[in-house]
Amino acid sequence: MTRFTLLVILVVFFIGIESIEAQDAKELLQKMDDIMFSPVDKQGNIEIILTDKNGVEKLREATFIQNAKGEKVYRYTKPESQAGIATLSLPDGIMWMYMPAFGKPKKITMLAKSQAFSGTDFAYEDMAMRSYSERYEPVLIESNGGIYHVMNLIPISDKSNYSKIVVYLDKANFYPIRMEFYDKARKKRKESTYKYHKVGEYWNAEKVVMTDLKKQHSTTILLSDVKFNQNIPDEDFTVEKLKPKSAE
Amino acid sequence: MKELASKILKYRWIIIIVVLSITAFLGYQIKNMQINSDVISSLPDDDPDAFLFKKIGQNFGGNKVGMVILEADNIFNNEVLAHVQLITDSLSMMDGISTVTSISNIIDIRGGENGFEVGQLIDEYALPYSQEELDRLKNRVLEKDMYRGVIVSIDETATLIIFTLFDDSDLQEMAGRVKRMTHSLNLPENLYYAGLPMMVGEIADLIAADLIVLLPIAFLVIALVLALSFRTVRGVVLPMLTATIAIIWTLGFMVLGGYEMSMVTNNIPLLLLAVGSAYTIHVINKINQVKENDFRKAMVVAMTYIFIPVALTALTTVVGFISFVFEAYLVMIRDFGIFSALGALVSAFLALFFAPAIMYAFSSKKRKTADHSELSKDSVLSNYLLRPLTKLLFNHPKYTLTTWSLLIILSIGGIFLIERNVDVKDYFQKDSPARKAEEIMIEKFGGSKPIFVLFKGDMQNPEVLNTMLRTEEQIKKDPHVESSQSIANLIVEMNDALGEGRKIPDEQDKVEQLWFLIDGNPILQQLVNDDLDEGLIISKFAADNSDATRKFASDMAQFLEVNSTEDCEIILTGMPFIDLKMNSSLLTSQIRSLSIAIIALIILVGFFMRSLAKGLYATAPIIAAIVILFGVMGVAGIPLNIATVLVASVALGIGVDYSIHVITYFNYSYNGHNLGEALEDTIMVSGKAIFINVVSVSAGFLVLVFSEMVPLQFFGILMALSMVGSGLAALTLLPVILVLVHRKHLTIND
Repeated sequence: MTRFTLLVILVVFFIGIESIEAQDAKELLQKMDDIMFSPVDKQGNIEIILTDKNGVEKLREATFIQNAKGEKVYRYTKPESQAGIATLSLPDGIMWMYMPAFGKPKKITMLAKSQAFSGTDFAYEDMAMRSYSERYEPVLIESNGGIYHVMNLIPISDKSNYSKIVVYLDKANFYPIRMEFYDKARKKRKESTYKYHKVGEYWNAEKVVMTDLKKQHSTTILLSDVKFNQNIPDEDFTVEKLKPKSAE
Repeated sequence: MKELASKILKYRWIIIIVVLSITAFLGYQIKNMQINSDVISSLPDDDPDAFLFKKIGQNFGGNKVGMVILEADNIFNNEVLAHVQLITDSLSMMDGISTVTSISNIIDIRGGENGFEVGQLIDEYALPYSQEELDRLKNRVLEKDMYRGVIVSIDETATLIIFTLFDDSDLQEMAGRVKRMTHSLNLPENLYYAGLPMMVGEIADLIAADLIVLLPIAFLVIALVLALSFRTVRGVVLPMLTATIAIIWTLGFMVLGGYEMSMVTNNIPLLLLAVGSAYTIHVINKINQVKENDFRKAMVVAMTYIFIPVALTALTTVVGFISFVFEAYLVMIRDFGIFSALGALVSAFLALFFAPAIMYAFSSKKRKTADHSELSKDSVLSNYLLRPLTKLLFNHPKYTLTTWSLLIILSIGGIFLIERNVDVKDYFQKDSPARKAEEIMIEKFGGSKPIFVLFKGDMQNPEVLNTMLRTEEQIKKDPHVESSQSIANLIVEMNDALGEGRKIPDEQDKVEQLWFLIDGNPILQQLVNDDLDEGLIISKFAADNSDATRKFASDMAQFLEVNSTEDCEIILTGMPFIDLKMNSSLLTSQIRSLSIAIIALIILVGFFMRSLAKGLYATAPIIAAIVILFGVMGVAGIPLNIATVLVASVALGIGVDYSIHVITYFNYSYNGHNLGEALEDTIMVSGKAIFINVVSVSAGFLVLVFSEMVPLQFFGILMALSMVGSGLAALTLLPVILVLVHRKHLTIND
């Protein structure tokens, strides 16, 4: 075998490995998306707990419905002063908000994606309806041994807040266990942890904790009474339906 | 005294070892010395204005807000905006910084038909490029109160990048990091820094620079003067050694007591270098004066004589320094009083115990004739200055008295011209970046001095919010206030964006639900507390003259009297009002601390000399010197400020020493008949020590003209002036008083 042939074989071998790994990473990310972006509708109760660095907590509670298109309706029940507020989030960054005291829904267009979402540690980018596969290029970092795959997600758009997200993916079920968000200075700025629980045939993230490492502030999201596939009609995701019947 | 002197010589090694051990221990502590350049932390807690100001700064995070000022020909330029964005993004990524707001990321709420858009003033990923886009941005900035003159100057040449530090951030360290980071970007625009963290950082750098650069220079200058005066190694080394040890002890005690170095206590090392060396100079001088060949005997005689004068001069110095403790407004001035007094005591202790112990331990026990050269009466100083001076004073006492009287009368006229100045910007030299930053803030951003109106009430109650709006309108009626910020403003903006009009909603429900939109926004921390029962109007005051501040305070007091209720208590505070207090306290504390010091000195000196009259004679020269000092300040336009307010009492404490030495020696020499001889002896012996001391101390203080801080430059000049004045008074005015008082006892020979 000539040296040249050997070189060609080696190059093909390594390119091959790389493309197999890329293929693997994409498949893994797709599997994660399948769990995180459920193809069916979903409803339940949500508790949002904001905890500052002194341990002081603020609580919000709401009921929610969500469909496969990524449209979401939240109806807030706590705190008391904000009870009755309802929001309809549409995938294009538009939010309709119904505030009982004002009577009719108002359209809020969120143009600043990098801003924090309503005082939480999630940026609008973190709450996006588009799948991770559409927004990030995955690179498999570690797959051998252990209980999880480790992937780097590199943003495709230069408008992302992050330089990369490191995802720890459960090997058995392909849901994320932990994500680490690195800023453009390549410093780890945020970290999220996930606790998944199977409801029927679907995986549900019953607890998500997002921690802003710089601010030492965290947001805990607890989902309860979650039901999938309830055939929630499309009209429940319309502006007209935001205002409850009792208020009419 | 003789016994004590003998014991000092007997136990010399024990004294040396103990002093050196304590010095090593306290010197080791100095490594923990912290610099605290935060003027706010020095405001007194017993003043309601200052207390509230500090509390608001802590509770609402105002003390943690810093600003980078970017100055360019025109802010509305793609390249300039890109640079603003670069600074903004770089600051955002720094640890210790919580939020960053600039034109490149500030939120913009635009009302529409059915709702509103929440976005940024500038699309961070597509900065305005074409002239049309830039003009659109400019119009938007100039039409909105929340941007115009707040984030971009009205003349479009400066913009602010405002950052907030986390509560636990070290102001000084962060200021340094922010500066280093922005410098490393190598931007073509001018960058300046404002806000408390940056100001604190700037002052800390200046304090450190002064300590590192000026102290060694002062050390060398004083050593040089001593070398020229004494022309012996001992004459240089001993005073410098005792002064250095006194500085080490004092700074060590400061650290042990949990005190920090401030822009006033920063003066202590230099002061002690001057004072500490003076006591030892007198001790050495006296030992040299004693005509005794046995060194031990000579030392005992000298120490027996010098103990009381040095102890007394130390006590009088302590009186001058400690007088600040009772009357100063700023905590750092009180600290200065305490530790400079302690340092003076330590210096005297070392001069009386340690210096003789060292001299005796390291000298040959037989005196060489060469030693007498130090006390030679035939020196240039003696022949060409002191002896002619004695003749002049003795032969023409009334000329001298008339000259002094004229000087005093002229100076009294000058006193009425003295101005007061507490403006922080004047701490910095004219061309310094910190001063330029202050000037830009005043000229282009409506001032740098914050005003706070604290509201205690339900922050979601429309009535309270409407009162807040009315208060803001009232504040803005003053020509020196351009803009203000409050939660009421924010609610009005959102209500307007929802199409409900530019007003506070009538129902509390609406306010509470609007709150949903801003909940968690970092700006809320600066405007309301967590329990929503306290809120703040933040504004700035551009005038730096007291009359404008007084008028504003009185207008606001009338308004608050009518509008402050049980459900909505309104309290006004702010830096301009604190400046006003500091300003008036400068005068009162000056008068009171001087009065306390003068009375205490007369009593103290009178008690030690067993004659109230002698107490009066001793203080007369220094009072004359201080009157002249004030006269010069008035005529030269040197204002009374936080540093120059120290001069009179410090000068009183140090300057009276000269008179004490003159009177003590005169008492020692005068036997009731030999007035002329006693006078000559006094001036020849004490005069030399006083002359050397005045020159060395003044030279030491004059080093402060190279200080980076303007008040300290004035402090140095005025201290030198006071030293020369009080030395001159002790050698001319005091002898003349003594001659006139004792003239009736003149013998025919005299």
